[in-house]
Amino acid sequence: MTDEQHVDDEGNLGDVAPGFMDAADHSIREGIQGYLMGFVLAALLTVASFLMLHTNLIWSPGIAVALVVLAIAQIGVHLVFFLHLTTAPDNTNNVLALAFGILIVVLIIGGSIWIMNHLDERMMPMDQMTQTDR
Amino acid sequence: MSAEPARACVPWAAADMLGKLTWNAIPFDQPIPLAAGSLVFLVLIAVIAWVIIRGHLPYLWHEWITSVDHKRIGVMYTILGLVMLLRGFVDAIMMRSQQAFAFHAGGYLPPEHYDQVFSAHGTIMIFFAAMPLMIGLMNFAVPLQLGVRDVAFPTFNSTSFWLTATGALLVNLSLVVGEFSRAMWLPYPPLSELRYSPGVGVDYYLWALQISGVGTLLTGINFVTTILKIRAPGMSYLRMPIFCWTALATNLLIIAAFPVLTATLGMLLLDRYVGFHFFTNSAGGNMMMFVNLIWAWGHPEVYILVLPAFGIFSEVISTFSGKPLFGYRSMVAATMFICLVSFLVWLHHFFTMGAGGNVNAVFGIATAIIAVGTGVKIYNWMFTMYGGRIRFTTPMLWALAFVLTFTLGGMTGVLLSVPPADFQLHNSMFLVAHFHNVIIAGVLFGAFAGITYWFPKAFGFRLHEGWGKAAVVLTVAGFYTTFVPLYALGLLGMTRRLQSYDVAAWRPWVIAAGAGIIVFCGALACQVMQLVASIRQRESLRDLTGDPWNGRSLEWSTASPPPAFNYAVLPNVEGEEPYWQIKRRAIETQQLAAEPDYKPIEMPRNSPTGFITAFFCTVTGFALIWHIWWMVGLGLLGAYVVFVWFAWRDRDEEVIPAEEVARVDRARRRVRAQWLAHNAREEWLAVHGQRETA
Amino acid sequence: MSEVEALRHTRSPALDPYKLGHGAGGGRHDYATGHGEGGPASKRVIVGYGFWLFLLSDIVLFSCLFAAHAVLQTATAGGPTGPQLFDPRSVALETACLLTSSFTCGLSAVAAGARNRLWTEVFLFATGVFGLSFLLLEAHDFAGMVARGASPQTSAFWSSFFAVVGCHGCHVTAGLLWLGTMMAQVFFKGFRPSIMRRLVCFNLFWHMLDIIWVALFTIVYLIGEGR
Repeated sequence: MTDEQHVDDEGNLGDVAPGFMDAADHSIREGIQGYLMGFVLAALLTVASFLMLHTNLIWSPGIAVALVVLAIAQIGVHLVFFLHLTTAPDNTNNVLALAFGILIVVLIIGGSIWIMNHLDERMMPMDQMTQTDR
Repeated sequence: MSAEPARACVPWAAADMLGKLTWNAIPFDQPIPLAAGSLVFLVLIAVIAWVIIRGHLPYLWHEWITSVDHKRIGVMYTILGLVMLLRGFVDAIMMRSQQAFAFHAGGYLPPEHYDQVFSAHGTIMIFFAAMPLMIGLMNFAVPLQLGVRDVAFPTFNSTSFWLTATGALLVNLSLVVGEFSRAMWLPYPPLSELRYSPGVGVDYYLWALQISGVGTLLTGINFVTTILKIRAPGMSYLRMPIFCWTALATNLLIIAAFPVLTATLGMLLLDRYVGFHFFTNSAGGNMMMFVNLIWAWGHPEVYILVLPAFGIFSEVISTFSGKPLFGYRSMVAATMFICLVSFLVWLHHFFTMGAGGNVNAVFGIATAIIAVGTGVKIYNWMFTMYGGRIRFTTPMLWALAFVLTFTLGGMTGVLLSVPPADFQLHNSMFLVAHFHNVIIAGVLFGAFAGITYWFPKAFGFRLHEGWGKAAVVLTVAGFYTTFVPLYALGLLGMTRRLQSYDVAAWRPWVIAAGAGIIVFCGALACQVMQLVASIRQRESLRDLTGDPWNGRSLEWSTASPPPAFNYAVLPNVEGEEPYWQIKRRAIETQQLAAEPDYKPIEMPRNSPTGFITAFFCTVTGFALIWHIWWMVGLGLLGAYVVFVWFAWRDRDEEVIPAEEVARVDRARRRVRAQWLAHNAREEWLAVHGQRETA
Repeated sequence: MSEVEALRHTRSPALDPYKLGHGAGGGRHDYATGHGEGGPASKRVIVGYGFWLFLLSDIVLFSCLFAAHAVLQTATAGGPTGPQLFDPRSVALETACLLTSSFTCGLSAVAAGARNRLWTEVFLFATGVFGLSFLLLEAHDFAGMVARGASPQTSAFWSSFFAVVGCHGCHVTAGLLWLGTMMAQVFFKGFRPSIMRRLVCFNLFWHMLDIIWVALFTIVYLIGEGR
């Protein structure tokens, strides 16, 4: 990593934010190649997801898991090829913020499902409880 | 309100020009809100008239309303917070006095009004008093402490403030036009659904919070970006003052938690406005989902409020003990620990909702664990004071009152974190006493400590010590006389939100709590007197050097009040407590650092964007509350036009010439040099004289 | 050599016992902010990072809608279920539109990086066209569902479905408005730094919409279909 890579348009030193695509860093060809590769990979993963629905290749209860794995892979492709998120030191803040966001998302979705399932198991079904309410 | 059968109110069905708004919306039959509301608006109109007649309007417009200066915005936030604190306090007086009178009787507030009062009290205190106070102090102090000139997005900062003010305005408007929510400070469905709350009260609540919530989210983004990306050269993470760390944690929590609030209230809005079934009784809706989601925001919110206060106390205790903060790194670790774990405890607000033992146990244990982080901080504060040369100034007294009182509140919190105990105490007055114990002792004392601590920095003169100390004493006394009885009442089985009661055993305690509120009134009078006395005696209280408390962090190195650009040259930070080092070096060498090379400074230009955006948001919000659909369209269109106009602006910065910078900074250096020649000489002699005799 | 001297000069142990700043890590220059060397970051970084935080907060907002959808998955209240009315082919078409628009949006960033106004506008326009087709397809889908008896008022399941998919649709609509504003700005003002910063933000926003859509079609449509 050379110092030049940290110097941006305004001549300042520092790190980078996500989504930066500099002419200084990449030639036009490289830029297009990057997006093209992301596009092709994402398209392949999408097609795989949609085909998964009718496939016999996977044990059917595992399909949901496979779909989630494919989705995570595709999100990864988007992050790397479209949002230009890297693991370089100048990206530390970006990745940390993303990690924090993912943690919160996991906590909220996972926590809600866990808590609400527990409630559903232990409580009278809502429509029985509120039959008079219609 | 009309007894119309509850049905989904379809927007396009409203044919009337003014939607639901009629003369019936003005509560002519309810003297108390009408009188109170009219009084507020008369005062408001009188103030506006005075401003216009005296010709202050241009000054206000150019220097305050359109200002993007973080210090000005911080001051405005704080003023908004104090005004709303007053409003919330009036609600508190009404609740306490109602309960004092309502033994075997109806009291003077009918239930539908009493319900509005306690809903408004909670809403106002959390969203429009505590939040603006904390955000205001962060706004004022964080960029100064980081040694920089402004926040990352100054115009958004102004927008944030005005959106918060919009929310506060809508809440106050509900006093005279329509009604406020009766569905508690968190509007639990199904009570808050259209079927059971057909009036506009819940809509006032929802739109006020949605609008101010956007402002708060912008603040969160603004401050995280500022703290992570804009710091003086050399200010590494572990050299930031602890207040900046707590501000970072708070704003990370804002970014993570406020979208949850927006989404949850948004779902309730969809239920109420277009007949969705998220939380309804019928069609498969699940009201427990609201409780679950709102507390996924609600618990982090508690820490959003209290973490900046922790930061303020850390600064105050370190400054007035004359010592660096004990265990700075453990303090940072504890702050970030709280930041993460605060997202793992939300279920403890509804242990009794019916989840199983596993769920309750996990969240109960997590709740007990998060107290460890706070415990670390308490010990750090005590060890900071240990062996220090403590000066008992007003901010320090607030901090001491906090450490004692907050610890008590924290202990009752740990008690409540045990699910079986919580089953006994849930929704009792014990809970009310607990959260007032932590929020008053934590957030309110923190805000007062912060205000007295940074007031000289903001205005150039200190606050009157005598009145300040009287305020501390009376507030603490008022706190204990009000809330210790509430603990007792909770243990005696009194539930919260009672409009009247007939248990004789409760009566003495209720009356004691009512007496406590009178002591609080005395404290309030002292606060007002403090302000009046300080302004009258401002010449003798003047802070000439910019360092009235013998401070340790960078904000005390610039003048009081600081120039618009804060620092003529960004300070070069060489360690923790940078200003302390600069000061020691100056005393040691008996001279100031060499005069820097002054350069022109680019500062963001003032912009009315925030004010205009908020204006359109007020219009849109009001129209949405009253179902005036054409006005909604107009408001949104206006907002989009402002957005484009703001985007089209060519010049968003102005340059302060180097001569001006030099003139301002030389004046500061002159005063500093005088200080060095007079006061610091003695200090130098004291140190070096000792060394010679030893 | 002089650098070592300078370090020794500025960082005496008494001033910096933990060696926290000024080239921490063995004298190597580390300009990443947070290590303290550089001072305030450049405006580009500030704007980009602030917008990144905004997007993360937006994702948290979506996560609540997803959580509601997951919890209300079976709450159809006797009405139609998702798989009865979902049309995988239409969803696939929408996905294709959005993915392609993300690609053209990326190409517009390359063109803007090369300061080529024509190609920037062309690719932004293409992005808009694909985005608009996505919206129209989605609106058509929604209309079909409502016609077959599944409106948001039908049941909690459909409420959550329309809320989460509709919220994404609202974001795309807002994105299109922004896109139009950006095209006008590029046309009238060219590639000045402020416009470049906004283009970066717009790119981030548009790619993020695609990421949310990936989660959306997987969880709401595909996994929902599999149930």
